[in-house]
Amino acid sequence: MEKENQNKSFLRIIRIPAFLGITIGILAALVQALLINAGGPEAYGFCVACHTRDLTNAVVNAFTGASLGIAPFSATTPVLTIVGVLIGGYIAANRKKEFRLKMGSILSYALYFFGGIAVINFALLVGACPYRLALRFGYGDLIALIGILSIAGGVAVGSILLLFYMKRRDM
Amino acid sequence: MSSLITSTALVIPIITLILGFIIGYLAQRSGFCSIGGLRDLFMFKHTRLFFGYLALIAGSFLGYFIFWAIVPTAFPNFYWLANQTDPLTPIPGAPGGLTTLSYVVLAIIGGFGMGIIGVLLGGCPLRQIVMSAEGNVKSLFFVAGTIVGAIIFHTTIMQLVQLIMP
Repeated sequence: MEKENQNKSFLRIIRIPAFLGITIGILAALVQALLINAGGPEAYGFCVACHTRDLTNAVVNAFTGASLGIAPFSATTPVLTIVGVLIGGYIAANRKKEFRLKMGSILSYALYFFGGIAVINFALLVGACPYRLALRFGYGDLIALIGILSIAGGVAVGSILLLFYMKRRDM
Repeated sequence: MSSLITSTALVIPIITLILGFIIGYLAQRSGFCSIGGLRDLFMFKHTRLFFGYLALIAGSFLGYFIFWAIVPTAFPNFYWLANQTDPLTPIPGAPGGLTTLSYVVLAIIGGFGMGIIGVLLGGCPLRQIVMSAEGNVKSLFFVAGTIVGAIIFHTTIMQLVQLIMP
């Protein structure tokens, strides 16, 4: 009985975003403690943009003989964080029967595709996605704070655009 | 620099795969999203996801602090800005050799761009990956875009930045 209650409270806690926030922070630090010998950079335990870049460029380099930039951390063997996120997300969605194929129009596909290109280019300009920005700020990097505040500014402008669009559609 | 595991080449794919799996699973269960948190805060005054992002900042500081206390050699530059004459120097690993002002400008351009496009497309990069794992084909095209975008960045944009930024 008690075990069941514990299970239930654990199931509830994994649905709280703040729990995942703390988990990512601590796991990223653990990864650095385990693997900094691979060559850094520091505060690099988890980053969606950079790890996508590292994996992509490692594959491209292996097949074409090019030498696109890769962080020293993943220069010898590739990082598979993104693959892990895909598998984890798929298994979670499948177990809870939340996997649903959602199609869109050709135009929306093009929009998302170019959106993806733009977002990762902006992210790599800062050298971090929103997640690594948080890690870097936790590590004591003030540039990361400027990045986080700029994201907030961008989201504010985007929210105003969305509200404007929603109002016009309602009229 | 010295970490707990000294021969890292073989374990990097395994450890990052496990890390990604845990984060992906929990992100699907909780709907975690950094940009979505700010959007919900600004548009609807919802704080659930926003607290998630604040917890990420707090958790990363806590995590680095704990493991720095255990294995200080793995965290040579923690707490970075305390040891800098110019507190705005980014930690090593950013595109190299630019002035402080350039890093600030790049952070503002990059952050603002991520924020505005992310909110218009309904999520940050992590959320898009999780949504494509849930079967959203639009997000799958977003992820494909990030893969192509990474190649574009390293073949053209990077050189352009180093050409025009002092």
